[in-house]
Parts: sequence; structure tokens; C-alpha cells
Amino acid sequence: MEYVMGIKGKGFAMVCTSATAVQQIITMKHDEDKILPLGTHTMVATSGEPGDRVQFSEFVAANARLYALRNKSKLSTKAIANFTRGELATALRKGPKSANLLVAGYDKGKGASLYFLDYLATLHSMNIAGYGYGSWFVLSMYDRMWHPDLTEAEALEMMRLGIEEVKNRLVVASPTYTVKIVDENGIRTIPL
Amino acid sequence: MSWSPYDLNGGTCIAIGGEGYCIVAASTRLSTGFSILTADKSMILPVNSKCLIASAGFDGDRSQLHKVLTFRSENYEHFHKKPMSCPAMAQMLGNTLYYKRFFPYYTFNLCAGLDDQGLGCVYTYDAIGSHERVGYSCQGSGKDLVQPVLDNQLKAPSILELPPKVAVTSLSKDEAIETVKIAFSAASERDIYTGDAVEIFVMTPEHGVQKEILPLRRD
Amino acid sequence: MASTRLNVPGLDGRCAGASRAAATLALGGADLASLAGGSPVASEFPLPAVQDLDRFENNVQELVKPEHGTTTLGFIFRDGVIIAVDSRASQGSYVSSQTVKKVIEINPYLVGTMAGGAADCAFWQRNLGMQCRMFELKNKKRITVCAASKMLANTMYSYKGMGLSMGSMIGGWDPSGPAIYYVDSDGQRTKGTIFSVGSGSLYAYGVLDQGYKWDMDVDTAVELGQRAIYHAQFRDAVSGGTCSVYHITKDGWTKIRGNNHYDMHYQYYPGGHPTAANDVI
Repeated sequence: MEYVMGIKGKGFAMVCTSATAVQQIITMKHDEDKILPLGTHTMVATSGEPGDRVQFSEFVAANARLYALRNKSKLSTKAIANFTRGELATALRKGPKSANLLVAGYDKGKGASLYFLDYLATLHSMNIAGYGYGSWFVLSMYDRMWHPDLTEAEALEMMRLGIEEVKNRLVVASPTYTVKIVDENGIRTIPL
Repeated sequence: MSWSPYDLNGGTCIAIGGEGYCIVAASTRLSTGFSILTADKSMILPVNSKCLIASAGFDGDRSQLHKVLTFRSENYEHFHKKPMSCPAMAQMLGNTLYYKRFFPYYTFNLCAGLDDQGLGCVYTYDAIGSHERVGYSCQGSGKDLVQPVLDNQLKAPSILELPPKVAVTSLSKDEAIETVKIAFSAASERDIYTGDAVEIFVMTPEHGVQKEILPLRRD
Repeated sequence: MASTRLNVPGLDGRCAGASRAAATLALGGADLASLAGGSPVASEFPLPAVQDLDRFENNVQELVKPEHGTTTLGFIFRDGVIIAVDSRASQGSYVSSQTVKKVIEINPYLVGTMAGGAADCAFWQRNLGMQCRMFELKNKKRITVCAASKMLANTMYSYKGMGLSMGSMIGGWDPSGPAIYYVDSDGQRTKGTIFSVGSGSLYAYGVLDQGYKWDMDVDTAVELGQRAIYHAQFRDAVSGGTCSVYHITKDGWTKIRGNNHYDMHYQYYPGGHPTAANDVI
């Protein structure tokens, strides 16, 4: 089952997603990357119906790139999150898209940010956020562990514990996960 | 009971393609529910000199489909100064059916004729245009009864096999006509929607299309 | 834009009007220009004037019983790509054909597999074949597996929710090497090394995962593909007929196996299958 968690720390944001592609009861793939970079310092972690998820996140990525090309200036994480919310809200009133997103980024002067954006176009800036059955176990755990001066090592340990908890408690947990971090140096994948 | 744009009028059709001939036959009974509407309704369209189309299913959609196919075929002849070949007609019928994917023609078709080598060809369809070239086929209400009999009499190795095997129906024209007649009289015994009569069209390069009518049970 | 695209011998000459009109007719009323530009728009497919379209389509599904049921698989290994499929089509519990060609040869380097609605697969992969040819003519180079599969996925996505049914693997060889993409009618598209699609896919996965090694030689790989399909045909009622196996290398695809299930069964189990040899209780 799909799992997405995000943590905002001091000077960085980290997201984790399940890495499986599922069709009915079959796991078709163990290395599906559901975290899409939008430029150098913003990324979006996605869950939802497969077709909608990929189509919509690629649409956002293309538009962020188009904006940068036209205006010779990159959109901030906040701007991308708000643009994406607008598109999702428009789609909701026509043919709804089933795509839940976490937008994570680092902007010079503003620091790290993490936005929760669900398929109903609810947008909110968060310290911790998540989707899926797994998040019910892990959100409470993160509420307990999170503090404003969170370091990268602490956040990674939280991600590790979150995955462990899900594998331990959730019947339909994924076997594989991806973790990515964004800070002033850009986006990196962290091996688990 | 909710209203529906569809009905099922019954009837069975068979097509067999062999070396130098092609046979298309269809029963002429038209029914709705347990009532017989008429005993002499043709469901075969001799669409041009090279091709016959037989359609079982809903009579309303059959009429409309045959009208559309006749129009397209005539148009083709005006543009190209020759009749459409059977394989081309088969693809067009497939597309015509598929373009009604979301509001299908409730018809089950056979398209049969002679190809450019004078070889009999038969194409069999589902209602939304999936089709396949085969040696012989059967559609309509008697399909479940007749198709196994045809398989028993005519089945050839699959063309998919490697190394390739000869996949042509090895039956003479007269034997094939006899098989069709037996199949229909058998079907009319056990299928309430097959009866009254059967139209048999035989196409050969020498004689073109010839038509014969065989009476069946009328009850 | 359409006129520049139609700059193709035979379609831009003096007979352009007639050819185009004839092509339009032959395509069943579709406008050639719109087909050349990609997938036809939904308005070309007339819809019934009913209140509840979903219910109508469900009823139609019951009535017309489109052809269904399949096992297909594909995997990449050291020496290329293997694609293996069965050949049965059924309408409900009636076996409507044992000789369906479920591998669609898009071009000499690219194949697609069919699972789901036979008409939906056949029609849109024929359409994909045309889009790929158009790409070749415009760009003077062969299309990549990545791009071809994306075109099919985009077409599927544009009809999402309309009830199309397709689960396809697009496999082939392009300048970046071998590739397989899974594309379905939900619009899902994903790259991978081992896929199996269709009602018999679970059975095929069981055999495939157990026997798969990257370093296999070609004979072993072909045998593995055939064996997985054989066991799926054995267990899954709506899979059967013949098993066709294709091998794709840098030189394109070749069909190397085409075996009847009956022949395979008595080749693998001359004395009968052990599961069929239970003692009378």
C-alpha cells in the first residue's frame, strides 16, 4: 500500500515514499521513484492513482520548467505549491485527479519548506506530513519525536523508524522505500 | 423494466473459406423474445462482387450497419474504379464497429469473400470490432451449437505454430456446402431462434456469387 | 499544422483530395488530419443520449461480451528481451478463439502485447503503429521504446474513465538498449525488467520469478518464457491455445517458438501431470 511521509528539519526537508508499483494484488516493481524533482531545489513526493499521479506530477514539473525558461527566474517552493493547488482545484471541479502530493524544497533566504497538498486541493505548510494507511501509525510517532532544531541524521533515523513501524504493524506494507533530502546543496537520494 | 435501445433478434450465420471458393450462409428467421416476427429476413449483405457480410444480433443495428457499409463501399468504387478487396473490407468493418465503441452496433459479424489469389477468406468479429482471419466461423444464436461441429469437421493447425503447418481447410466446395446444410438443420432442431430457411451464398472466381435457399423446420 | 504533416508522397500530390477522402472513409469517418496528429478526439466516438452513461456502458459490457482473458509476459536479460504470450480469447465462458495473435508487431524493433479487451488493444496499437511511422517520417529516425509507450499511455489517459480495457507491454530495442514498458488503460506507464499481464499473470509470475537469472543464455530464457506461459495456461481457464515466444535483440524481433499447449503438455509430462494423478479416495 502506498506510503508517503515528509519531515521538515533545520535547513532541509526530507521525504520518503514506498517504492512499489502495484497492480491489483501484484507488486510489479520494487524501485518505482515517486519523488519527482521540480528544478534543483524543489521536489514533489506523490501518491494516488497511478495514471493520475504520474500525469499530474509531470504536468507540474513541465510548467515549473516552462516558467523558469520564460522568465529566467525559478519559481520558489511556495509559488510551485500554490500553482499546483490552483491546478488541482480546477481539476477537482471538472474531472478530479486522484493525486496526493508533498511539496518539499529549499529556498535561499527562506530556508526549507514542506507543503501538504491532497487531491481535494487542501494546501498547508507542515513540519511533518504524510499519506496512506502507514501515516496513521507514523504521524503520532513523529509528533512525539519532532523538534525545531532537527538535524539530518535525526530525520533520517525518524524515516528509518517510520518504515520499521509500518513494516511491523501494517498488513499491506511495501517492502521497499525511497528517501530523498533537499537542502542548500540541492536534492539527494539517501540510501537506506 | 428499464428501457434499452437494444434487442436480440436471433439467427445463425456460418462462413467457410476454401481453395477457390467461399460459402456464407444464414438463417432467415427473425424473432423477439418467444415471438417470431418473420420467416424471411435476410441477414447477408452482398456488399460488392468480392465480399459478403453476414450479421447476427439486433436487426435495427444490422440495417444501419449494412447501410453504412454499402455507402462506404460504393464511395470506394467511385474513387478507385474497382471494388474493395475482402481484406480491406474486413479492416473497414472492424474500424466501423470500433468507432461505435461507446455505443456499439449490437451485431456479430462475419466478413467473407475471395482474396486477390482467389483464396477463400473469412473474418470473424466481436461487437466492437476485434477481428481475426480464420478458415471458417459461425456467429449468432446457434454459435454454441454449430461452432464445435465445424471445429470437428474442419479444424486445421493454428497459423501461430512454429515450424509452420498447413493451415487451410481441406474440404471441397461441395463437401463444405453439405457440411453447412447439416449444421443448419442440426441447429434448427435445438435452437429456437434458428429455423424457417437458410440462405446459402457460394462465391467462386468462375461463377461469381450464386444463391441457394434451403428450407428448415418451420416450428 | 496538419498540412505540413501530410507532406508525404501520395498524400500531397494531385490526387490528395481523393486519397484523403478515401482514407477518411476507410478509417470509418475519422478525419485523417486528426489521426495524423495523434489520437482522435472523443467526439469522433458517438455516445448514447442517456442520463447514466456508466450504467449504460456496464449494460453494454454484459450484452456484447467483448473478448477477454490472457496471459502475457516479458522480461529483459543479458541477451535481449523475451516476450511470450498465449492465444486464447473468451467471451464470458465461451472460448471465442484459440488463435489470437496477441503480439502486435509495431515495427521490426518494437512489439506490443495484448491483454484486456481485444478490440481496444488491437485498435489502439494499430493507431500506435501509425503514430510511430509518422514519427519516423517526420524525424528521420526510429522512435524509442520510451517515446512509443508514452504515446500509447497518453492515448489511454485521454480516454480514462470511458471503460477502455487494455494491459499492454511495449517491448523493443532502441539506441539506449533493450526496454519494456507496462502501459494500461488507467494511464499507468512504468519501465521494468520483468512483467506479466492478464488473468493468468499470477501463475506466470510464480514460474518466472523462480527461474529468472540475468545471466541466462537465450535458449534458457526462451524456455523460461514458454514454461511460464505453459503453466499459466494449465492453471488459468481463460488462457490457452498456443504459446508464442519472441526474442528481441539489437537486430529487431524474431518469433522463435509457436507451440500448441497439447504438444507442450505431453513434452513436459509424457506420463501425465502429477496433479492429475491423485489416488481414488
